[in-house]
Amino acid sequence: MTDSRGALDGVRVLDCSDPKGHFAGKLLAGLGADVIKIEPPGGDIGRRTGPFLDDQPGPERSLYWWHYAAGKRSVALDLHAEDGIELFLQLAERADVVLETWQPGRGRPLDPVALADHLPQLVVLSLTPFGQTGPWRDFAWSDAVGLALGGPMGSCGYDSIPAAPPIRPTEHHASHIAGYFAATGVCAALYERQQSGLGQHLDVSMHECMGFTIESSAPWALYERHPLIRQAGRHAGPQPTEPWQYPTADGRLINIFGMPRSEASWLALVAFIQSKGMGANLSDLELLDGRKRQLGLSQPTVKMMLADIAEFIAAHDAEEIYAGAQAAGAAWSIVRTPDECLADEHWRARGFFVEIEHEEQERTVTFPGAPYVLSETPWSHGRRAPLLGEHTAEIVCGELGLSSEELGALVAAGVAQ
Amino acid sequence: MTEPEPAAQPPLAGVRVVDFTWIVAGPTCTRLLGDLGAEVIRVENEQTLDSIRFGRPHPGGFDPPNSSAMFNWLDRSKRSITVNARHPDGLDLIKRLIRVSDVVVENYSSRVFESWGLSYDEQRDENPQIIYTSLSGFGHSGPQRDYSTWGPTAQALSGLTAMSGLPDAPEPAGWGYSYLDHMAGFTAAAAIVAALHHRRETGQGQWIDLSQVETGMALTGPATLDFTVNGRRYRDTGNPPGNRAVWPQAVPHNTYPTAGHDNWIMISCTSDAEWEAFCAVSDHPHWRSDARFATLPSRLRHQDELDELIGAWTAGQDGRALMRRLQDADVPSGVVQNGVDLVVHDPQMQAREWTVAREHPVIGEHLTDGLQLRFSRTPAHRDRPGPVLGEANSYVFGELLRLSGERIAELTANGALG
Repeated sequence: MTDSRGALDGVRVLDCSDPKGHFAGKLLAGLGADVIKIEPPGGDIGRRTGPFLDDQPGPERSLYWWHYAAGKRSVALDLHAEDGIELFLQLAERADVVLETWQPGRGRPLDPVALADHLPQLVVLSLTPFGQTGPWRDFAWSDAVGLALGGPMGSCGYDSIPAAPPIRPTEHHASHIAGYFAATGVCAALYERQQSGLGQHLDVSMHECMGFTIESSAPWALYERHPLIRQAGRHAGPQPTEPWQYPTADGRLINIFGMPRSEASWLALVAFIQSKGMGANLSDLELLDGRKRQLGLSQPTVKMMLADIAEFIAAHDAEEIYAGAQAAGAAWSIVRTPDECLADEHWRARGFFVEIEHEEQERTVTFPGAPYVLSETPWSHGRRAPLLGEHTAEIVCGELGLSSEELGALVAAGVAQ
Repeated sequence: MTEPEPAAQPPLAGVRVVDFTWIVAGPTCTRLLGDLGAEVIRVENEQTLDSIRFGRPHPGGFDPPNSSAMFNWLDRSKRSITVNARHPDGLDLIKRLIRVSDVVVENYSSRVFESWGLSYDEQRDENPQIIYTSLSGFGHSGPQRDYSTWGPTAQALSGLTAMSGLPDAPEPAGWGYSYLDHMAGFTAAAAIVAALHHRRETGQGQWIDLSQVETGMALTGPATLDFTVNGRRYRDTGNPPGNRAVWPQAVPHNTYPTAGHDNWIMISCTSDAEWEAFCAVSDHPHWRSDARFATLPSRLRHQDELDELIGAWTAGQDGRALMRRLQDADVPSGVVQNGVDLVVHDPQMQAREWTVAREHPVIGEHLTDGLQLRFSRTPAHRDRPGPVLGEANSYVFGELLRLSGERIAELTANGALG
């Protein structure tokens, strides 16, 4: 524990979310809120989501859970049992925020709007696939279905492979996108509450969040009803553009993201390539004109330029190309896998990766850390993900005053764990 | 009938943001803050305009700086002033504006603000409670702080590009747009509103230093842990997996072709119950009793065969009718929609009025898109179109900073304004 405070210090969140809200809850925990994960006595579904420690499933072995539940506390309560919902409502009276992902029309334990009416100081955020209203609100959903219907997937895919389908980027991105909106919405409602003293209900449709996360597809659709062409490793566009991903000598890929815009940077890049004895055509005077380097216009100068660049990249190793191009001011990059990121000294120097103690396993685990560096209220990764029901007694007995016998009876009845 | 309550202010009413952002990442952040009710003042300069002001499409004809649909989409809910930060008088005006503001946001390369004399310390001299947000590729510290990114650069470096694609393809598909421009912008917005909350509690401002690549690496948790805990590198198991599931495991989980050109439906059965429901509603109920597909482990082993069978069944069917049929049976499924589908063919978006018509002084009537955060008591808004260049000059320099008309003319003549 550090003694610095978080931006949401003193804010308590009851997090009743399933995977749709796991990232939202993690963001709030990282900002310093006391996030209490309310999970069913059998354990949250995230505990059954891999990958697993040593590939062996188990409620305390999910690396997905380790990542998304870190810094939260766990209270296991069955919200579909009368005694469970009663305890939940008592907890809600002491909380600032309830985050829930129950789809309307799918047997949710309570109505979030009624909850917000019942407790006017409470911020209740409903994060659901399509929102509280509309013809699709009850649709059966998965993260991939969300990305398909929501727009992001429609822009991702291949021009280089005939008849390839649109591609869904992996790793729960519908929940990532919506998680940021949920966290921002909670913070904005809390900020407003500091002045008004009042909470409210927020209806967040993940589908609508994704609709704002498709970049230029949006204006082309809103203004011109013009769909874009999917292209590998670069922007979908109204017309085809030249490729950006080129293989290196050591079997990796460099993404060249277009060309330097300034003449100084272009000349520095040419000097770097020619210092390796390649790129003779890059001295062509026509290429001094930035417009003659502009991709996407099928220009002969660009064809010649890219041929030289591809040849240079194919003859060198990725790290050398990356360092040289960046030093010249070109925003080129290596296409890395997540494991390759850990070796980069820059992220180590910034302290991005953090070591967290997992005492049950008698080991320290390296996690990706803060998405932002706040100077006065640093991101807190918090303790390792909670064990199932680890804080049930602490909160139900310690705060709500149940005796251990009463809790024991609830556990025996399967209402708590 | 009771009297209607006076319309509530949006949640960030009274917050003033000095917005030095450009391209996509920073403007994504400040659009969200503007929608939430903050007064966002874009600081622009006629000599170095945001290239998005030239970005296509230009629905009424190419007439920059005020004709771009891309700009109007991304920069709505903001005001615009024109001032030159590299002119001493211009810098002085910017500092005076910072004195009466709450938040400063910029997404330049990491040394630009320092070179203007607007480091965090210098901003704090003007306003000790300022919340300064710098959004750059690599952050403002570390050995590579001078490296630069665009969205695709950051996506490649963070691992996200490699995690999207067909197995065995010569290259990943990656993201067909600057996903991390949006996500870095959202990260900044969440951090800024949290910092405002902290400041209202304590009076303390702060510096939020964002690295776009870090916002991407923060989205790779399980894959990173599979390496740091299990020692498994991402490509060891044949990744990327196309449209098949990684975790949670699910089969079938893929895109399948439907009638027409380049139309696809995503079907993902995340449990045996959903698989059984899928078989029952398909025209092939015997799939359920086929030993190859009886359990998740067997379906995983026979995924190629199953995908082929399902694809042969979906091909030629109307995608939306098929989605309705599957959804009626509670099978997670959805057609792959592009932007045009969201605007034109999506009954859910229409029912919730995701698009509404608004007026722009140059572009005219146009559609603007959704409010993602629907507050019951303090609604966000989307009524202010992208600002015409310099439209707020007299408001900001005259009303807020109380310069006389004469002084404004002088500063315009000497190049500080404009």
